[in-house]
Amino acid sequence: MIGFTVLGGYLGVGKTTLLNNILRDNGLRNTLPGEGYGKSRRIALLINDFGDINIDAKLIESQTDNQINLANGCVCCTLTDGFTNAVETLLEASPKPDHIIVEASGVADVNNLSQYGHSEELKLASIIVVADAETVRRKASDKYVAKTIQRQLKAADLILLNKVDLIETSEAADLGAWLNELTAGVPVASCVKCDVPMSLIFDLESHGNNISDEAHAHEQYSSWSFSTTKTGTRAALETFMQGLGSDVLRCKGVIVDDVGNRLTLQVVGSRKEIELQASEATTNSAADKAVDRAIGIELVAIGMSNAFDTAKLDSMVKSLFGDAD
Amino acid sequence: MSIIIYQAKKIITMNPSNPEGTHVAVRDGLILGVGFLAELVGWGEYSLDTSFADHIIVPGFVEAHAHVMAGGMMLLPYMGYFERKLPNGETAPGIKSYDELVKALKSIAADLSDPDEPLVAVGFDPIYFPDQPRLSRHDLDKVSSTRPIYLHHASGHLATVNTAMLETNGVTKDMKVEGLGRQADGELDGELREPAAMACCKTGNRIVQRINQTEQALRDFGALACNAGITTCTDLGGASILAPQLLDMWQEVTAEASFPLRVAQYNVPAMPGAAAAFDEVADQFVALRKQESEKLRFPGIKFILDGSIQGFSALIDEPGYYSGEDHGQLLTVPEQFADWLRPFHRASINVHMHCNGNLTQQLAIDTVEKILREDPWLDHRHTITHAQLTTQAQLRKMATLGLCANFFTNHLWYWGDQHYDITVGPERANSLEPCASALREGVSFSIHSDAGVTPLGSLHTMWCAVNRLTPSGRILGEIEKISPYEALKAVTISGAYQLHLDDEIGSLEAGKKADFAVLQEDPLSIDPMNIRDIEVWGTVLAGTKHPAAGQSSR
Ligand SMILES: [Zn+2]
Repeated sequence: MIGFTVLGGYLGVGKTTLLNNILRDNGLRNTLPGEGYGKSRRIALLINDFGDINIDAKLIESQTDNQINLANGCVCCTLTDGFTNAVETLLEASPKPDHIIVEASGVADVNNLSQYGHSEELKLASIIVVADAETVRRKASDKYVAKTIQRQLKAADLILLNKVDLIETSEAADLGAWLNELTAGVPVASCVKCDVPMSLIFDLESHGNNISDEAHAHEQYSSWSFSTTKTGTRAALETFMQGLGSDVLRCKGVIVDDVGNRLTLQVVGSRKEIELQASEATTNSAADKAVDRAIGIELVAIGMSNAFDTAKLDSMVKSLFGDAD
Repeated sequence: MSIIIYQAKKIITMNPSNPEGTHVAVRDGLILGVGFLAELVGWGEYSLDTSFADHIIVPGFVEAHAHVMAGGMMLLPYMGYFERKLPNGETAPGIKSYDELVKALKSIAADLSDPDEPLVAVGFDPIYFPDQPRLSRHDLDKVSSTRPIYLHHASGHLATVNTAMLETNGVTKDMKVEGLGRQADGELDGELREPAAMACCKTGNRIVQRINQTEQALRDFGALACNAGITTCTDLGGASILAPQLLDMWQEVTAEASFPLRVAQYNVPAMPGAAAAFDEVADQFVALRKQESEKLRFPGIKFILDGSIQGFSALIDEPGYYSGEDHGQLLTVPEQFADWLRPFHRASINVHMHCNGNLTQQLAIDTVEKILREDPWLDHRHTITHAQLTTQAQLRKMATLGLCANFFTNHLWYWGDQHYDITVGPERANSLEPCASALREGVSFSIHSDAGVTPLGSLHTMWCAVNRLTPSGRILGEIEKISPYEALKAVTISGAYQLHLDDEIGSLEAGKKADFAVLQEDPLSIDPMNIRDIEVWGTVLAGTKHPAAGQSSR
């Protein structure tokens, strides 16, 4: 399945900055164990206008009116032919992208757009809405766009509250409370220049140290992880998922259960899901089995350093899965 | 250089300086003059055509807002609530109950030879069945349990399908698409809401999406227009900029001698809501305009700024919708709209703006004011199209700014009761399409059908503006009624004015195109309640006769 992310937010909030950050990033790799593990991910960006995108000319491999192909495997497409045509073209391409991000227009209904993420080939990964810390409240009561802005924020799985350096700390607390009430608790990641760990948007690295390295590079963010070779149960994983608070911006897990099924947990803000990735019967190859034996349970999570309750996560996993190895 | 003089019972010119006559002289497709025969013979040798001696000639109607490719929808079976005229002159009956719907679909299915061929029909609207349980796949399963059926609704935002259609497309209750309608038990009910859900039933949806772009669709629309007395149609939302590959087809078909219609195509410069490099589009447009031909013109561009009132997606101001959930939304970021408009305005390109909600319209008016301060252009004739909820304050401001209105008067009939009871409530329903106020405030206005949203027919559109009657028998806003003369003006010269074509078409005047609508009766003296029933003989386009379907060219 191809991951599908809707990136929403009003004009000027920093969506393009975030897209540029994504394009610059070269280390996006597939992190699910199994086929394709560790390969670099092909990200396709569907954007409104090439004009605002900064792409290092050295990175451009080929270019047409509607599409730019980058050396790192990323593809940028414009939406001039309409959204459905653009997606169709991407799905007909070879190789297909691993993940599609669509930049919604400043007034788009992101929830409506996200419905395209449920199809045979696409799987909705997240609705990310960028908000400008300085202007979001004013825009949310603007005569033309109040309802639109409120709808976007409520539909978000994760809000990236950008430009937090432009407001006072006291204001930030107020704003947080206001957002929390408006959206009924959609998790909020604060940032400046939309500089957030890519793992907030794409699959977390669950092996190796990349995730923690990256989170450390953004000192506002911290990561937490847990790993054991013991197996778990779906029920325990579900209890863990339900117990995650809005301080957990992102979480991912892979567990092998007591009968050999491999389950994945995906959390982006308020979007939380457990999926059967491979059942015992289909995990045939010796290599897969070896990977599974080595996994047992792996969980990683990211939160804002100043709000991340890792002690709670520690105590949850201890009671549900026992001690880490 | 032969001259033909057409004799009529009466000729209404819409030229205030020479309002009536009995004869019109034509040479090379242009009018030499209108008057009594004695006033015209001086032009030289002529032949007298008396075939219209018992008819009334008025200027060929100018449909101010329609979608020419809606002709494509006519190729699909029609299941709407109101009867509808077909290109061949026949009438498709209105479907008034689910039983009639099932019966009509069954008889179409019986004519299909391949048992797996999907049956796709259009025009259904659940808003007319408020007392019935919502139409579901179970109703359509009565037509066939094996043949896939896709019933596209009139709004374009919904479809209802049968179980076989869900199954052939692998659509199951496990799919998470929000627009998939569900029964209380969680099973799918067969309703598909909004494009993402409609696209799930590809084998039906595709047929509706692709049928529009054919030569047949274009020719059928030409026939429908001729049957209605229309000689110029504003195609408000053409695709020659976004889909230049279609331009050849447009040129070829409109150039055919038998094609009875001038098309004034307003291109959409970007997909609704999407941004584009509009200064480049303005350049493309200037280039496109060089490819104009006799029956294909490119007077300007169109922006779509919001949704519809009956879909609750038009952006309206306080006190908001009367009932139902407000989905009002702009399709452009307000701060950006001036940047979108400016390149066209600077290049002297006329702009028509789709605004159904009055708050959307406010944005359009304020933005035009802003760009007029930057770049004065007194004769821009930019137009608010639909303009259904225009307020008095907006009319005063529009008059000052030189903005035109293009009212969707057909709504008074087709959704008038729903607007009164459900969408905007009594006061605003009574002042919908405020033609009389526009007249009083000095705002130049036309009226339209938005075909295929409602059927093409200028006499019907006039009838709505004159009578303001609803199907339940209400008069919506007696005070906003206009006279038949003002209504005729709105479907002729005022429509032409908004296209900057009023020096060529829209009235019968020496030097202008010989484009006539030929009517059986006089729309200005007949009982106003019968205006929509006047029989149309057909049209004359550039001096050439085009009989409506069922009429013979004598
Ligand atoms: Zn329209």
